[in-house]
Amino acid sequence: MTFYSPVITNAADAAKDDRLHLFKYVEDPDQYKIATYEAHGGYKAWKKVMGGMTPQQVTDEVKKSGLRGRGGAGFPTGMKWGFVPKDSPKPRYLCCNADESEPGTCKDRVLMERDPHGVIEGMAIASYAIGCHLMFIYIRGEFGHCIERMEQAMDEAYAKGHLGKNIYGSGYDLEMIVHTGGGAYICGEETALLNSVEGERGMSRIRPPFPAVEGLYACPTIVNNVESLASVPHIINHGGDWYASLGTEKSKGTKIFSLSGHVRKPGNYEVEMGFNLKKMIYDPAYGNGILGDKKLKGVIPGGASTPFLTPDQIDVGLDYESLQTIGSMLGSGAIIVFHEDTCIVWTILKLIHFFRHESCGKCTPCREGTGWLEQIIKRIEEGGGQPGDVEKIDDICGNILGRTICPLGDAAVMPIQSAIKHWREEWQYHIEHKECLVKTKFEFK
Amino acid sequence: MAKATKNADKPAAVQTVSLTIDGRSVTVPRGSTVLEAARRFGIDIPTFCWHPKLKPVGACRMCYVEVEKMPKLQVSCALEAMDGMVVHTDSDLVKRGRKAIIEFILANHPLDCPTCDKGGECDLQNLTFAHGVDDSRFDFTKYRFVDEGMTTTFDDKRIGPEIVLNRNRCILCYKCVRANKEAFGEYDLGVYERGNIAQIDAAPGEQVDNPFSGNLVEICPVGALTNSDWRYKIRVWLTRTAPSVCNFSSAGTNTLIFGDNHKNHLYRVTSRMNDEIDDGWLADVTRYGYQVVNSPDRLKTPLIKKGGKQVEATWDEALEVIRKRFGEIKDKFGGVCVGAMVAPNLDNASLYGASKLMRTVFKSNNIDYRGYYRMLPGDPESPYMILQSQPFRIADIDDCDLVIAFGSDLVREHHNQYLRLRKAYNFAGTRIFSINPYRVKSADISELELVYGPGTEEAVINGLCLAAAEEGLADKSLANELLSRIEPKTLREAARFCGVPEDKLRVVARSLSEASKVTFFAGEIVARSRERDLIAGALLNLNRLMGITGRGQMAALVRHANSKGAEKLGLLPQPRAGLVDELGMIWGAYPDCAANSTDAMMALIKKEEIKGFLVIGANPMMLYPDQQFVREGLERLDFLVACDLFETATTELADVVLPLASWAEYRGQYVNLEGDVQTASEAMAPLPTAKPGFEITNLIAGVLGTPLYGDRSELDGEIERLLELDSVIPCPDRFMEVKPVSEPKSDGYNVALYIMDDSHHYVHLTEKAPSLANFVSEPYIELSPDLAAHYKIQDGDSIRVESEVAKVILPVRISDHIDNEVVLVPRNFTSKPVTSLLMRKRRIDRVKISKVDE
Repeated sequence: MTFYSPVITNAADAAKDDRLHLFKYVEDPDQYKIATYEAHGGYKAWKKVMGGMTPQQVTDEVKKSGLRGRGGAGFPTGMKWGFVPKDSPKPRYLCCNADESEPGTCKDRVLMERDPHGVIEGMAIASYAIGCHLMFIYIRGEFGHCIERMEQAMDEAYAKGHLGKNIYGSGYDLEMIVHTGGGAYICGEETALLNSVEGERGMSRIRPPFPAVEGLYACPTIVNNVESLASVPHIINHGGDWYASLGTEKSKGTKIFSLSGHVRKPGNYEVEMGFNLKKMIYDPAYGNGILGDKKLKGVIPGGASTPFLTPDQIDVGLDYESLQTIGSMLGSGAIIVFHEDTCIVWTILKLIHFFRHESCGKCTPCREGTGWLEQIIKRIEEGGGQPGDVEKIDDICGNILGRTICPLGDAAVMPIQSAIKHWREEWQYHIEHKECLVKTKFEFK
Repeated sequence: MAKATKNADKPAAVQTVSLTIDGRSVTVPRGSTVLEAARRFGIDIPTFCWHPKLKPVGACRMCYVEVEKMPKLQVSCALEAMDGMVVHTDSDLVKRGRKAIIEFILANHPLDCPTCDKGGECDLQNLTFAHGVDDSRFDFTKYRFVDEGMTTTFDDKRIGPEIVLNRNRCILCYKCVRANKEAFGEYDLGVYERGNIAQIDAAPGEQVDNPFSGNLVEICPVGALTNSDWRYKIRVWLTRTAPSVCNFSSAGTNTLIFGDNHKNHLYRVTSRMNDEIDDGWLADVTRYGYQVVNSPDRLKTPLIKKGGKQVEATWDEALEVIRKRFGEIKDKFGGVCVGAMVAPNLDNASLYGASKLMRTVFKSNNIDYRGYYRMLPGDPESPYMILQSQPFRIADIDDCDLVIAFGSDLVREHHNQYLRLRKAYNFAGTRIFSINPYRVKSADISELELVYGPGTEEAVINGLCLAAAEEGLADKSLANELLSRIEPKTLREAARFCGVPEDKLRVVARSLSEASKVTFFAGEIVARSRERDLIAGALLNLNRLMGITGRGQMAALVRHANSKGAEKLGLLPQPRAGLVDELGMIWGAYPDCAANSTDAMMALIKKEEIKGFLVIGANPMMLYPDQQFVREGLERLDFLVACDLFETATTELADVVLPLASWAEYRGQYVNLEGDVQTASEAMAPLPTAKPGFEITNLIAGVLGTPLYGDRSELDGEIERLLELDSVIPCPDRFMEVKPVSEPKSDGYNVALYIMDDSHHYVHLTEKAPSLANFVSEPYIELSPDLAAHYKIQDGDSIRVESEVAKVILPVRISDHIDNEVVLVPRNFTSKPVTSLLMRKRRIDRVKISKVDE
C-alpha cells in the first residue's frame, strides 16, 4: 500500500459544488477505508435499495436519471439493464469493466484507488436491479494498486455485511469476485472481457447474442464501466430526477475527464456534461493553458480512438451529441492536447503502433490492416514515404472502418483518417522532403 | 466455449421468415443466417472461416453482404435472416469489401502455390481468382515465421504425430481451433500471440494427437495444416475419387477415397458429409486406416502348408487342397464337422456367401460372426439380442434432452456418437450421464459420471429401477411387479453392491423420468461381458418401468462395420425364426442340426468333433478374450483355411491361407448400426491375386461341387430379400429376473483389466497404417495416477501385468481421466499377446501389477 497515484483532481471544487459527486472525497486519504466511506454517507443507497426498493424501481430510477455508459459507447445504462430477459431460468452476472486501458484515460483508476467502496456499492445496486447474485470486477492487470484496494474494500464490505449471504436480513445474497486482467487492451471490449473471465483467449465475440441475453457462461450478463456504476449510488440517494437535472438535454449528469498532453495542469476533472472544451484546456482551474504558451495544434477529445479536433473546433460542449456533430466522439473522456511542436506523423505512428500491438488477431481487416498501416506510416516517419502512400493509408483505413467485429478496428483508423483530413499537407511534406514539417520537435521528458 | 442455451424456449412448429436476396424472394426457417439462406437457394457467398457444423465467429469477413437500411456491410455468416430484409450479395460495395479482405489476407501470405499441397483445392486460391485482384499494393517484405533453430524461411512445424503446420500460409480462420474445441472437446491446439503475428500452435508441451486431429487438416482452407499422409505425394487434380464408407466403425461414416489413374494406389480418405451419420467429421482411424490397403505386407498369393511350413502357391493349387481336405471331412464325418468364423466388417455378399456355403454346401449351422466376444448366447432372442435389435438413430441424439451412455468408452469404440454427444451438449444443452466402471473421456461433458465397481452393471440398473420406485417416478403396480423379479430389493443395497452413491442413482432416475426425449445406449463394456444377457435384462426392465423407447431410443450398439448386416443376413449359428424360414425358402432347405456359437465351436474342435474350419477376415487368435482357449482349439484342427489381408496370428496356424481383397477394392454393401444399407464403391482394382470374400466362398463351394451363384446378381437378389425382413425384436411385456452375480476375487489379483481398442486403432486391421502407427504403435497399459503412485510407477516405465494364466510386460501410460483401480490395455498390436491374460469364463479379468526393476 505504498503507492498512491499522484493524479490531480478537482476534488476541492467537488466538495463545494453539490452537483459534483464522484470526486467529493477522492482527496481524503482515508476514503478507501470503510469507516470513512460510511461516515461520508457510504452504503446508504445500498441500504435504501435493500430496505424495500424492487429491482424494477431501481432500474426505473436509473432510466429516469438518463445515465449513459461512461466506458466510451454511451449506451443508456438503465435501458441496458432492462435487456436482461425476465423469464430466463439461468443465473445472471454483473461484470464491472475496470480494464481501463484506452490511452489517455485514467479516471476509473482514481475511483478504484481512492473510493473503492463507491464502486462496490454501485455494483451491488446494479446486481440487485438485474437479479444477479455473483458480480465480477475485471481490473486491468497492470493496476496492481487498484486490485489491492478493491480486494481490501471487498473484504471490508463482506465483514460489514454489505456483501455476502442474506444482506441486511433482506434474504438477498450477493457474492463478489475481483478478477485480474492479463494485459490486453482488447479485454476492455465487453465480449472479450467475458471471454477472458471465462478463461478463454481475450477475443471479442460476434453479436447478437448480446451479453445481456447470452454473456458470461452463456447467461444473461451486464457489463458496466466503473464510472457508470460509481454514479449509481448517487442516483439512488438523490433521485433520478436530480441526476437528470445535471448536464445537457441528452447527456445527463457529470463526467470525469482525464486531461493530458501539452497542458500545464493535466489531471482528472469531474464536470457537468456539456462543459466547454476550450474552458477545460485554458481555465486555470483545469488545464491552465498550453505548455510553454505554444499554439494549440489539435485535441483528441475522447481517448486515443476518437478523431482529432482542430483549434477552431474546440469551442464545443463536452457531451455526446455536440462532439458527434463536429465529427468526433466523447469516448471515455480522455482529452489529449497537442501543441504546435507535435509532428502528426510521429503521433499517428505511436497510435497505430499501439493498436497494431493490441489487435487481438481475430478478424482479418484489423489484424492485417493495422500491421500494414504501421509499416507504411513508419516508413513515412523514417523518410521512406512513397508517392501515393497517403491515399493508400486512407483507402486501407476505409477498408477497416466499420468492417470489423469489435470497435478496435474503428478505433485504430478514425484518428488516422482525421489526421489526414486535417493535416494532409504535413503528410505530403513528410513524403516529399523525407523530413518533418514541424522543425522544433517537442521532446518528451 | 460457452454452453449454449437450452432449447426449452424453441417454438414447437418451425417458423419461417421471408427475405429478398439479390432480387429473389426466399423463405427459410427462422433462425437461419443470411448465408445459409443464400446457399440454400444456390446463391454463393464466399467464406473462409464459416463451417456448417461450427458456431459462426465472423473472423475472416469474406462473407460480406449489403443489407438495405443497414449502414455498414454485414457478415452474412452471423447475421440472422429477418422478415423483409433486402440483401445484396454482389453489389459494388460488397465486391470492394471482398477485394479488400483478399488483399489483406494475401498481404503476408506466401505465394508458394506450386509447392503447396493445397494447390488445386485451396479456398484462398479459388476465391482470389473469383473475387481478388491480380496485383498487390503491399510493397513490404512479407512477414515470415521462422521456428527456433531453423535457418530457412520455410515454416515446417510438426505439431502432432501427423500434422505439420506452416504458419506463414495460415490465414487465421480459426476453424481448426474451433473444431478441436467445439466439436471434439480437445484443447491441444490454440492461438498464441496477437495482432498480425497471431499464430496457431499446439498447446505448450503438447502434441495435437487427439483421435479426430485429421479433420483439422481437412477443414483448413489453405495449406497451413497438412499431414504426412498426403504431403508431397500427388497433386489433387491427378487423383480420382470413389465414394465409400468406413470399414472400421459401426456407424458407417461416409468417406471419399482418393486413388489415381496411373498406379493402383490410394492416397487419402476425406469426409463425404452425411448429416445423419457423421456431420463431416472423420475419426483418425477412418481417415488413415485406409493405408493398410497400400501396405507392402499384404498377402500376395495363397499359402499352403507343406511339411509344417507355409509356402506360396497358386489359387488353383490352394483350391485343390481345399477341395481334397474339406471334401474328405465332409464325406467321412459329415458337413457338420466343419465350422466357420467371419469378420463382421466384411460386406453383405461376403457374409451371406459364407453363410450359404456353410448351410447349403456343408449343411452345417456352425457359423458365427462374433469372434471377439466370450460366452456368447445361442438364443437369437436373448435379452441382449433384443436390446441390440432396437432401432437407433445417431442423428436423433442431437435434440435429446437426456443422453445416458452406459458401459461405453465412447471415444474408443463409437467416434461418431462421441461427437454427437458433444454436439448435443454444445448446441442443445443436452444433459449427459455416463455410467461406466471407470471415468471415460466424455466425463467433461457429463453432468454426472457414475463409476460402478467392475462387473456390477446389473446392480446399477436395478438401482436405477429401485430409485425410480422409491421416488415414486414409476407406475406403482409395475414397480411392485418388478420388485418381485429383481434383487436386491432396496436402493441402499443396490447402491452398496455397485458402489455408486444412492443420491447419484436418484438424480439419474429423476432426470430419466423428467426428460422428454432420451437416448440410452449400452456399449462394448456390456457387449463384452459374460453376463451381457443379465445386464440387458436389467435394461429391458428399466425400459418397461420408465418407458424409454416410447420417448426416444434405447439400444445396445453394435461395434463393427457390418455387424448389423451379419445379424440381418443370418450369420448367427441360430438366426431368428423368420429369417430361418426365409432362408429355407430361398435355398429350398435349411440344415437341421446343432447350432454352435464361437465358444461352442472352439469347445467342439477341442473335442475333435469339428475337424475343418474356415476363417474369413477374423483373427480370433489375437482378439478372442482367451488366447489359450482358441489356440488349443485351432491347433487341434485337421484342416484350417484362413483368409485375410495380412499374415496374422490366426493365418499362422492355417493349412491354407488365402489373400483377401480389401473393402476398397470391390463394390460392397454394408449395413450400419442404424440398419441403413450403404455402398462402398471400388476405389482401386484388387491386388492381382486377392479376392473378395464372396468370390472365395463361391470358389470353395464350386470345387466342392455346387457353386453359390452363377451370376453375382443372384446373390444380390437373395440378400435383398433378407434385408427387407424386419429385424427388430419387440421388447418383452414382462419383467426379467435379474439377480446380480458377483464373482469372487482371487487372492492378490485386485486390478480389473479391460482390453479394448485404442482410440486410434481398430482390431488387428490398422496396425500397419503408418499414420496411425505414428500415434500409437505399441501396446501400453493405462492406469490412474493414484495407482501409478501406489506402485511408484512413472509414465513410460515398464510394468509386469500378471493374470492367473499369463503375464505380459507393458509400458505405462498414466491416464488423465481414470481415477480408480482399473487398467486398460489396447488389443490392436501383435507385439504383445495381451488377450492371453484373459479367461473366457471370467466376468471381470483381474490382474496384479508390479514394477519391472531395471
